[in-house]
Amino acid sequence: MGLGGMNKLNWIGRSLPRVEDKKFLMGRGGYIDDMDLHGMLHVAVLRSPFAHAIIKGMDTSAAEALPGVVAVITGKQAAELCDWMPDFNPEPNLHKWRVLADEKVRYVGEGVAVVVAESRYIAEDGRDLIEVDYEPLAPVPSARKAQEAGAALLHDGMESNVAHDSTLAFGDVDGEFERAAHIVREHVYWGRTAAQPMETAGSVASYNPGNGMLTIHANSVALTNFSFLVAGTLKIDSNKLDLVPMPAGGSFGSKFWATRATVTAGMCSKFLGRPVKYVEDRLDHALSCDHHGSEREYDIEMAISADGEFRALRLVCTDDYGAYFQFGLGTHGNAMSQVIGPYDIKAISYRAVGVLTNKCQQGAYRGFGSEVHNFALERLVDKAAIELGVDALELRRKNFITPDKFPHKIPGGNVYDSGNYEAVLQEALKDARLDYWRAEQAKAREEGRYVGIGIVTQQERSVYAANEWWFFRGAEGVSSVPESVSLHVDALGKVSVTMYSTAFWGNSPETVAAQVLGEELGVNPDEVSFAYQGTNKGLPGSGPGGSRFTVMITGAVQGASAKIRDKAIKIAAHMLEVAEGDLEYVNGGVQVKGDPSQRKSLAEIAIMPRLFKHQLPDDITSGFDADMVYDHPYTTLPTADRSDLGIFYPMMAHATHIAVVEVDVETGGVKFLDYIAVHDCGTVVNPRSLDGQVIGGLAQGVGQALYEEFVYDDEGQIQSSSWLDYLIPSAMEIPEVRLGHHETPSPFTPYGMKGGGEGGRMHAPAAIASAVDDALKPLGATRATHLPLTPERIISMVNGH
Amino acid sequence: MKPPRFEYLRPDSVGAAVALLNEHGEGARILAGGQSLIPMMNFRIAQPSHLIDITRVPGLDAITDEGNAITIGAAVRQSTVEYSPVVKDRCPLLVEALKWVAHEPIRHRGTVCGSLAHADPHSELAATSLALNATFTVVGASGERQVPAVDFFIGPFTTVIESGEMLSSVSFPVVPAGSGYAIDEFSRTHGNFAIAGGVSVIQLGADGKVASATLSMFGMASRAFRAFAAEERLIGSMPTAEAIAEAADLALVDVDCSADMHGSEEYRAHLGRVYAGRVLTSAVARAQGGSK
Repeated sequence: MGLGGMNKLNWIGRSLPRVEDKKFLMGRGGYIDDMDLHGMLHVAVLRSPFAHAIIKGMDTSAAEALPGVVAVITGKQAAELCDWMPDFNPEPNLHKWRVLADEKVRYVGEGVAVVVAESRYIAEDGRDLIEVDYEPLAPVPSARKAQEAGAALLHDGMESNVAHDSTLAFGDVDGEFERAAHIVREHVYWGRTAAQPMETAGSVASYNPGNGMLTIHANSVALTNFSFLVAGTLKIDSNKLDLVPMPAGGSFGSKFWATRATVTAGMCSKFLGRPVKYVEDRLDHALSCDHHGSEREYDIEMAISADGEFRALRLVCTDDYGAYFQFGLGTHGNAMSQVIGPYDIKAISYRAVGVLTNKCQQGAYRGFGSEVHNFALERLVDKAAIELGVDALELRRKNFITPDKFPHKIPGGNVYDSGNYEAVLQEALKDARLDYWRAEQAKAREEGRYVGIGIVTQQERSVYAANEWWFFRGAEGVSSVPESVSLHVDALGKVSVTMYSTAFWGNSPETVAAQVLGEELGVNPDEVSFAYQGTNKGLPGSGPGGSRFTVMITGAVQGASAKIRDKAIKIAAHMLEVAEGDLEYVNGGVQVKGDPSQRKSLAEIAIMPRLFKHQLPDDITSGFDADMVYDHPYTTLPTADRSDLGIFYPMMAHATHIAVVEVDVETGGVKFLDYIAVHDCGTVVNPRSLDGQVIGGLAQGVGQALYEEFVYDDEGQIQSSSWLDYLIPSAMEIPEVRLGHHETPSPFTPYGMKGGGEGGRMHAPAAIASAVDDALKPLGATRATHLPLTPERIISMVNGH
Repeated sequence: MKPPRFEYLRPDSVGAAVALLNEHGEGARILAGGQSLIPMMNFRIAQPSHLIDITRVPGLDAITDEGNAITIGAAVRQSTVEYSPVVKDRCPLLVEALKWVAHEPIRHRGTVCGSLAHADPHSELAATSLALNATFTVVGASGERQVPAVDFFIGPFTTVIESGEMLSSVSFPVVPAGSGYAIDEFSRTHGNFAIAGGVSVIQLGADGKVASATLSMFGMASRAFRAFAAEERLIGSMPTAEAIAEAADLALVDVDCSADMHGSEEYRAHLGRVYAGRVLTSAVARAQGGSK
């Protein structure tokens, strides 16, 4: 349903304070580390100091003898207690992984044993007493070195360290390049970063040997329809595992779903028959969290016609994947959803090379791979403008997909649902005072200062669907990504909502659901209550991720509300002695059409099915509850020959970001002078919380562009395992952002919403790099294509390297 | 990230603290603000057997105006110094230096003496003590001794404080009237360790020539250090832009710059010369402007 024909909205679109805030601000949110069960034990993980080594032996006797230590579980023992870890890559047998390494370690920080003790302190004391006999192997510290002849192999069953190498091509790519008047090429490197939520991943597991139930509270419960995979790893019947969601103190993708922490705690609890807590500390999280973000190199080129039309895009992306291939090429399927950006490019060729290296494995981080593609594409477009000698903004405009072309099918099969890129750009430019900044730039150059302006126009795919995993694999893929709610209306008409995944990642699922209930049932959003249900007995939930939750939970709430309204009308018809067809649900009650004096409020109606079975018609059952399992509103299967991969990520948001920076060419330091971000995420539910999402994502984009990096040296040793060296920008480094929202509703979603959760991080890096280039232009510097742009790197760019 | 077991002791005098240090030997450490020691313990880089908390020793929390110097006791928090009217009036360079030290919440806990005794090569306070010719009072079982700043720092996290000794106070000479001073640094993010920084104090004679000059550098080598060659280049000269540039080029003579993921040796050397130039220029400008 789009906005057309909708009544005026009462709650959606208002900047209500978040429903979630109060409990968290009062310290009563109930985070995982606040959970304390009677007799609970604590875990410390012993981690490998080597990037690549054989575990020849381990002596745990001193640790086991330490008072307070209850058990030590080595990797070898863990391999008996647990099966392989869940894995979504197409060839899981070639590069399996375990919760603890048993025979071989493949990166610095990989767990090799756990100590379970009465306290975390004692567990860490015990950890210091374990002696491991390692036989170091040649490290494989980078994707390039991993592909050299004679490189050591991470996984014995493989012929090389290349886990995957395949190309997807759609349209006449070769023909377009042959006919092209211009071909522009760029080489881009995106450094390895990872989400750094305030709260790390953690689980509290409690095994009941009496009934065989393993209950694991975790702050990373998502993809609940895959919880059987976790049960398989834990060697427990899938109906005896209950993963119970806890609020997450931030995720940004890092808590994509319950794996390492959950299996660690679950294994220990099942083995010992006692409750066990494992919460990563910051070092655990840096070295061996569930996954780091992407580390990629691109060789990317575009065929451009004589009059500046983008015709075809061809790229080779080499992914320095880390030790395991858990998510396969999902991060490239994701990028394929918006592979042409906002431009009407006719043909694409996308070669993805996944290389295994001695590093923590890759996975989800706000953007899931498409943020990297955005960066590569916009860097290429900027370079095209330079080589063609045209204005970069005009070049973008010329190639924009115009509003009359939506829904727009792109090469590969995905559809862009709606958009108005020119309008978003106009709104950004209106605020940008470009004339002022160009004048400032000229003035600064006279003074030997270097000011630059960067403008990018980029996509932000939203509403994740499982179909992205189909890319680069032959077999049929999973196609279910539902989200569920249950609504409960009590005898007084008060509404409770149950959700079924770690809905709260730092986003605002309760606020969204409350605002939608305001529209759908006319209740006051402040009066709604919320609960979360585990996977056992729970309805399916895929959780947040891929900017999906706002749309998906809205669809679920809308569907469940319709069921509540239907029953309310049925009951009111009886109470008012009016035919159902003459009634309508308005403003939190049921009334005779056109006659508000004949009305029953939800409270008056609700008491009937709760208490007065025999005062109602026989066909009205007791209870006033509704479940709704909401499927993704718009995905399709691929064609059998895979010439069309289907629609899988069609809710296409868009943004223009404008960064104004000053570069100190003596130090290489970059500071922001101004920043404008205008987003179009369709209908905005809560402008204030969307602003927060954009600014938070943008801060991570600033980190990616200028500060953050997990640096591994040639021996595979990580150089930035603490926040002393892994530099997270603070409020002092983040620009004061001037925000705008344009609204182009999606024709396919409730209320026309699209997702907006990953926006800032998808756009800021290219805008910043573009601004740095613009600043350094008079100096003949090399281009900003290698992130992060550390001060030393900027000095070397100024020196022409 | 939990520390191993340790004993916590809280003496009520410097003498008692020193006695405890000697009683417990190498494993005993003084605890003041704990802003470096406690994280090191959490990482288990430091594993002291005994922590001797001196923060409640009577008198150690005093800032004393000695006339020609300001003496800061070992328990005085950085923020107390930062907001002290006496320090602001008599030794404003110290206040400016503290603004660069970590973040405000850390300065509320961290002590000036603790930072100096920790001797981090990136320490602004170490470099400031060098530029101002501060004097350190080190107390041991056999009494106390005075150590000038130039002799105090030996290497990374290493000072002349011996086992069984503690730093009880530091005296910063007041900034002479009419002198110019400056501190500046480059760090990748606000409050993080400096990759390079400098501190300078300059006095001009009536003829406009440099009568005295100190320049110390931090963040770039194994310890904060005085750039004597640069100072000598300026003393007795008119502080022209050329003279300052030449002095800045001399700031790193015979210095082995450190390297890490944030900057190579070459980059640090480059930045060091840039910041030597910047602080000398600022200090001279202030001296010429008659600033305190």
